[in-house]
Amino acid sequence: MTRPFRPMNVLSTLALTVGLLAPALALAQQPASPREAPAFKAGTCSVEGLMDSIRRGLGSKSEAYKLYLRTLLRESAVNLPLHELQAAFEREYDPAMVEHLAAALVARTERGLEPEAMQAVAKRALEDRDPSLRAATVRALRRTGALERTGDLFERLVRDSSPEVRMEAATNLVEDNLYVYGGHDARAADTAVAAAAASSDPKVTAHILGKLMTGEVSAGSARKLEQLLGSDSAEVRAAASTALGGVPAAEMASARQALLGMYRGERDPGVRKAILQSIAQLGFSGAVPELQRLRGVDPSLEPEIDAWIQVLNMNLQDWSLIQKAKQRLQQAR
Amino acid sequence: MTPESIHRSASSPVSASARRAPRIAIALGVVALLAAVALIARGSAEDSDKPGAHQAATPGSQSADPAHSNAAGHTGQGGPEQDRPEPPQFNGTLCWEDLERFNDTVTLETFREWAAPLLAVKDPLVREYLKGRLAELIGDDEGRASEVLGWAREAPPAEFKLLMAGLRGSQVLPKVAAQLTSLGLDESLDLGRRAGFLDELQRLPQLEPATLEKLAHFAKDATSGEAGWVAARAIGRVMKEDFTRTGNAKPYLDKLLTIGAESLDEQVRYLALEMEMHAGAPLDTQATARLAKILATEGSDEVRQVVAHDLSFAQDKKQALDIYAKAFATEKDLCVRWALFRFAARAAGKDALPVMAEMALTDPRFQGNYQDFERLYASGIVDFNRIWFSLPTDDPHGCLHRHE
Repeated sequence: MTRPFRPMNVLSTLALTVGLLAPALALAQQPASPREAPAFKAGTCSVEGLMDSIRRGLGSKSEAYKLYLRTLLRESAVNLPLHELQAAFEREYDPAMVEHLAAALVARTERGLEPEAMQAVAKRALEDRDPSLRAATVRALRRTGALERTGDLFERLVRDSSPEVRMEAATNLVEDNLYVYGGHDARAADTAVAAAAASSDPKVTAHILGKLMTGEVSAGSARKLEQLLGSDSAEVRAAASTALGGVPAAEMASARQALLGMYRGERDPGVRKAILQSIAQLGFSGAVPELQRLRGVDPSLEPEIDAWIQVLNMNLQDWSLIQKAKQRLQQAR
Repeated sequence: MTPESIHRSASSPVSASARRAPRIAIALGVVALLAAVALIARGSAEDSDKPGAHQAATPGSQSADPAHSNAAGHTGQGGPEQDRPEPPQFNGTLCWEDLERFNDTVTLETFREWAAPLLAVKDPLVREYLKGRLAELIGDDEGRASEVLGWAREAPPAEFKLLMAGLRGSQVLPKVAAQLTSLGLDESLDLGRRAGFLDELQRLPQLEPATLEKLAHFAKDATSGEAGWVAARAIGRVMKEDFTRTGNAKPYLDKLLTIGAESLDEQVRYLALEMEMHAGAPLDTQATARLAKILATEGSDEVRQVVAHDLSFAQDKKQALDIYAKAFATEKDLCVRWALFRFAARAAGKDALPVMAEMALTDPRFQGNYQDFERLYASGIVDFNRIWFSLPTDDPHGCLHRHE
């Protein structure tokens, strides 16, 4: 078994263990019985040792241990030699290990070290021949500053030949926008809209747009969203409708017109529900007359329209409160 | 924070930061909060159990977000020396020989003895691992959870935190709710340890009426100290969860309003009233009237600001606007007035503009604020959240750092 660590200087090790582990140290060279207390010894982490530990740990039944190893590698990354880390990344072909190593490289760039560490990961996300390895490296870029550092990477990834890679890239765009930028960054939102429009995979486009906060998007992005209302795919039309509900004030009138214009001709009930929600979001209590006018278009959606009217008439001033009130109303029914 | 409360925090297994968290939450706006979440996500450990990490402040609360302040022209950029950044310094990590064997062979019976040396070396990554491993060993077994609670009665502070984190991470917490409550109210234990037990109640899906009654009574009692504060927070957190699930917050809200009106501890009153703004439960006319009374009689500026926020959840908008108008006329504190002014908009949207115009006539310092709100509503924005983020500044009256 490879030692999982490189011994640090003797004094430091002693300082950490003396007094606590002396009896165990005496037995360290003998095979340990399951009931014998472990002889913990601290050492400096090495790439090779960490890789060995992680490779064995992947088979552990303990999720806590796997999380520990993942975190340990990421936290150690800034102190490990870059060339060793990069070499280990390049010669690795197990997707789980690739993801761990890629996350470690990304962590170096994220914490202010060399930009090329993340670039190496982005390159493999685009170029590796194995789609499961491309997907693994895309996951390693999630919830980081990759959107700002990788140019048109995501527009290219959403056109990858593998559906798994495309969907992982879509998830990055959704989660980066929400968790890294708080939903309030215009460039991140525009990047997501551009990628959604660039993809020819309806599931990818719908996944991105269905959960995107669009309060900061540009006029150009708002127009792209309106164009996507004409998609052949119902799930894309529904997601674009949802996304249009949150556009900036300057784009609200145009979005409302586009949504109202398509409601009558739309046949899919899921898309119609999404349109109704966005009309409610764009107007709050001011949307009630518009919603009333739409009641007769599709009798099966009258209960939905009535629910929106009832909630909007509460005159709540915060969209999250309106959504929660609507949810409670539906639970009560 | 009062000297008395500092003393309490120091003696408690519940960290001082846990007590500060809600105060911080109200001080931060959504952007700041999400930025913090982003930093956590981009940083190191899983952080979902850290106090405040999952608390959502509502827009209109003060924001410490530099980006938003920059939009207002408060740039505070550094000089030329900041163009030459120092090379980053990083803490080292440790790799532990035999941790793998610990992981593979540890049982609940050996956990305490085997984990003790690891706990003593204060490696934060290992400490997090131990919490997760203990949670796995407890699983959903009520007997094991009870055994761990038994250890926690006597455990020293660092081990106490580990044991409680293990319980928290397991799936068994609701099954030992009665035991936790009983330990939390056990007068033979020190208040700090009792606070630690009561703190776990916040993760229950609901509180039975008898438990709620006991907790509220304890929270209101000035001699409960830190543990009373924790009990009030537990009531509020469960209220949010139960309200989301069932739509009913009334039993909890009644108790919190009583604590908010009657506790002698300002921080407990503040917290009890702050919990409503996190839950966002609609206020009926009776609850609104109780808040109006608190607003008129409360001596603390900070507590009155929280009450102003709460009132924005009133179902009867006219009732809320009347309360805001009357309170503004008699209010002397500028920051409380700013809270009354902006939360009037959160209560009633553009319907609040006439009341806000009247406020700006009473106090000309609000004329610029009125013009901002009037302009934004005229632009077609209806969501208060978006109004808030569109204001030229979120701190026009210098209230953000007043008490720091």
